[in-house]
Amino acid sequence: MDCNFNFGGKKALLILGGLLCLLTASAGAQTSSGQLTITMNVQSSITLIFQNNPSVGTTGFCPLTNAGTNNVGLDFGTAAFPGSFHTSACVNYQHLNAAVYQVSSAFDVVVSKSNSSSPNYRLAAQISTPPPANVSWLLNNVTLTTAGFTTLDTADNYATPITKTLQVQVKNTVAAQPLLETITFLATAN
Amino acid sequence: MLKKYISIMRGAALVALMLCGASLPAQTTASGVINGSLNNTNGIAIQFDSDPAGVTLGAAGTNAATANFGTVSAFGPLSGGVTRPSVTAANFTVRTIFDVQVVSGGLTSTTYTLTANLAAAAPTGMNYKVDAITLTTAAQTIQVNGAYSTAIPHNLDLVVSTAAPGAGGPAVGTPITTTINFTATAN
Repeated sequence: MDCNFNFGGKKALLILGGLLCLLTASAGAQTSSGQLTITMNVQSSITLIFQNNPSVGTTGFCPLTNAGTNNVGLDFGTAAFPGSFHTSACVNYQHLNAAVYQVSSAFDVVVSKSNSSSPNYRLAAQISTPPPANVSWLLNNVTLTTAGFTTLDTADNYATPITKTLQVQVKNTVAAQPLLETITFLATAN
Repeated sequence: MLKKYISIMRGAALVALMLCGASLPAQTTASGVINGSLNNTNGIAIQFDSDPAGVTLGAAGTNAATANFGTVSAFGPLSGGVTRPSVTAANFTVRTIFDVQVVSGGLTSTTYTLTANLAAAAPTGMNYKVDAITLTTAAQTIQVNGAYSTAIPHNLDLVVSTAAPGAGGPAVGTPITTTINFTATAN
């Protein structure tokens, strides 16, 4: 082979040699790299449950059905104005005046937060259907309506049982009938 | 060309993630429901109240009260709240006044009828009257149009024979207790 190159020929030979070295190296250790990018969005959240008050079973503290959830039942039993008649041993029965009786029972509301810097929460409630005339549903002496949520508290602490008393006031002119009401509680983070 | 395609896809994915995050509102509210129930029933209830002009009832304000006339006689002193409206040769009458209050609920009724009867036959030498109506063990109508939630006074008369014990007169020196049953019925 005639290797009598001038300077340009030597340069070309060097370049070719380098390319051969690179090809040899790549054929011996193939690698691959990649990235997996994870995206998530953590949200603040709060939750509300109803609990039996520690005094449950005593007068004014009836047990909730399904306690510990956000959908509970509270049965006041049967009551009438005459003779302060009431069948439930746990309700607090009172004659408010000469024509109105009230049954009431207390329970606890617990609101918990997660991933939130909210210092406290607002609590409101409303009833689902208009009660019959001369029947009122109240929480801590605040009359509830169907017109919208009625504010009960403006700065309740999280994870702390807040005792609320549900009251039903019935005038003695109200015909005998079952009185049913769904009271919706709404906790809003401040 | 491939690099451009990959770049476009990465951008689209990023935008989608951003939009997805934006469409999920932060859950800063929580709700729960309480299903409350009360069975409002109807009925009426009777109670006896002390009348200002009569004896003070025991267990006033209940439906099982007592009225103690104390010691009575045709001519001797009487307890407070007890009067003696008549004395004849055959008998004398001692009287007190008590109130009956009937409360209703869940009814359309506006008045009630009040009846009374002796729980047992009257002791020898004794007669009992409410508002001048002589009581027996059968129910006697005392009032036909009593208003609810109103304390209505009634005269309770004990008519005592002046005959001697064993001769048709009452026992002397021994407490005589009689129970009167009252019934209010919604009209």
